[in-house]
Amino acid sequence: MILKKLSLVLAVSVLTAGAQAQAPVPLQLELPKPLFAGTPRPISLPNLEAPRAGKRPDLMVPAGTVNLSKGKTVTSSDSLPVIGELSYITDGDKSGTDGTYVELGPTPQWVQIDLGAKAKVAAIAIWHFHSQARVYHDVVVQVSDDKDFKTGVTTIYNNDDDNSSKLGKGKDLAYIENFEGRLLDAKGAVGRYVRLYSNGNTSDELNHYCEVEVHGALVK
Amino acid sequence: MLAKVHRWLPIALVAATALWLRTHDLAVRSMHADEANQAVKLGALLEHGVYEFDPVDHHGPTLYYASLPIAWLRGEQSLAALSESTVRLVPALSGTLSVLLLFFFAAASGRWAAVAAAAFLAIAPASVYYSRYFVQETSLLAFFLATVVCTQRWWRSGNWRWALGAGIGAGLMQATKASAPLFLSAALIALWVVRTNSFKTTRPKRDLAVFLGAFFLSAALFYSSFGTHFTGLSDAFSTYSPASGRVTEGSGHEKPWFYFLSLFGWQRSGGLLWQQLLFSGFALVGALVALRHSQPFLRGTLIYTILVGIALSVTPYKTPWHVIHLVPGLAVLAAGALAAIPFRSVAIVLAAFVILSQWRQTNLAVFLRPADVRNPYAYVHSSPDVRKVRGLAESALAKSPQGAIRVISEEYWPLPWYFRGLDQVGYWSLPPDDCDGALIIASAANTDAVRSRLRGRYRESFLGLRPGFICTVFTVETP
Repeated sequence: MILKKLSLVLAVSVLTAGAQAQAPVPLQLELPKPLFAGTPRPISLPNLEAPRAGKRPDLMVPAGTVNLSKGKTVTSSDSLPVIGELSYITDGDKSGTDGTYVELGPTPQWVQIDLGAKAKVAAIAIWHFHSQARVYHDVVVQVSDDKDFKTGVTTIYNNDDDNSSKLGKGKDLAYIENFEGRLLDAKGAVGRYVRLYSNGNTSDELNHYCEVEVHGALVK
Repeated sequence: MLAKVHRWLPIALVAATALWLRTHDLAVRSMHADEANQAVKLGALLEHGVYEFDPVDHHGPTLYYASLPIAWLRGEQSLAALSESTVRLVPALSGTLSVLLLFFFAAASGRWAAVAAAAFLAIAPASVYYSRYFVQETSLLAFFLATVVCTQRWWRSGNWRWALGAGIGAGLMQATKASAPLFLSAALIALWVVRTNSFKTTRPKRDLAVFLGAFFLSAALFYSSFGTHFTGLSDAFSTYSPASGRVTEGSGHEKPWFYFLSLFGWQRSGGLLWQQLLFSGFALVGALVALRHSQPFLRGTLIYTILVGIALSVTPYKTPWHVIHLVPGLAVLAAGALAAIPFRSVAIVLAAFVILSQWRQTNLAVFLRPADVRNPYAYVHSSPDVRKVRGLAESALAKSPQGAIRVISEEYWPLPWYFRGLDQVGYWSLPPDDCDGALIIASAANTDAVRSRLRGRYRESFLGLRPGFICTVFTVETP
């Protein structure tokens, strides 16, 4: 009996020891230290995205879709931009050169286009800034019939993955700006107003727009 | 008493303004790669008491040693505890000291002109900008002006103590940056050309020995890490080999010969206007005054400024912080032009216009757009985005305390500064076999290779290292 008990204790001890030997331990990583180098050289990378083969896939829109935003009134959270005018956003010039874009201040900012009447929006094309490779943070695009965007808001794009703009967490992917702009499928969202948010970019804390085109048809 | 106040109040106000401009909100700008690199070296000196001069990629030791007492006074005993404000205080104080030294130097052209020259230096955009920048240039300028003021006093008094001061100043210049001989030679040539009388001393050989002794001793103290690293002494000479290669070849920093001149001119960049025409215009008039009238002091300043300007302009390697060596000369010349106006009230009004015009530029460059790619002083500057990496790292480590933070990029400064105090961070220029970790930051060039080697599930976002250099950030995806 005693022998049996001793065997049991021994077996438990061996098993415990085995379990202890297999208990997870912190992985000790030996990581390379930073190297010290001289002043970084100025570089110019016009476009970091791998060039796509062929043209951008077509976005199918209903027949009769037109650019509704051309020449329409634009308002903004930054009503007095230091550089450029809000009207540049809908003036049809998307060249991106100096004097064709508006620069809004740091921190999250929005611009809002008044389409003049309720519309069914098929697509929105955005050119923030494309003379340098950069990514705009927390880009959110919404359509609403309420000019204050408190009710009836349809979000058609949101890449604010940590909800820093407090508009809800977005799952859309961020993108590197280029001359093609970003073409968004608005899927027929209805509203008179289109609002676009951003929160600085990978080069500076400022927010820029060359052009925004809202394509769709007025609701009769 | 009132006379004393009247005598010293103007320069005291100028110095106070200079100090405020150089110390206010020092952390407003993200760390430049060079600043971060040097701050990490300072951290090693602070933590381990060890510094060894690197003759290949770094300038002299004074900046690091001068930062030590400031860090101690602010209670920062380690790299992790260091702050941007602490490391930038040495240049800030050097820049303020330069303003006072220029006043004493320019006193030779009259008290009013000296105050005006000091005010122009105090407010100059480049001078303010680089007085808030953890690099050697501002200290080099302060030591140079100290050397010049001491030499000036020695020349007039013959007192050997001024020769001692000049020797220490020159030695500290040499211990700050290998380019020190350029400025000393230019000053010597200018002095030689415009000298009107001989020096006062009766024992020039003794004073020369004092100067040279002080020069070599002070430089040797720093290069030998205060007697703990004697290889630093030979490295102080061997540094000229890689430095001359960089300077003559340009090393990617080549710019046209008129680059420094253009910083004092007029340029529009992305809707922002950068100009110093009023200041430059008066400096040009001051040059004419120096040439047309027999004013040795102004002529000497003009010769020095031209010599340094030519040397900097013909050198292919150009970085904008070198421009601060031209500002004191131009400030003295501009003040000389104003002092030549017979009506003092008119001169004061014009000086106010110059200061106002310069302030607008300084405010734009230093406080409103300090890291903007259009700012001519923000050279290859880090994006404000880099400040986000610390929060990303802490958030990632909170989720995976044992995880690694991997930076896989051909360029990664200033990230080591922002990751200071974290010991789970590694840096690769090419993707390693195992890329997984709590947080991975990959350059655009490495992104595809890194993505293909990741085994875990990650969320991707972008982060700017500097304008035009974008990194992909991989964070562990939580269910």
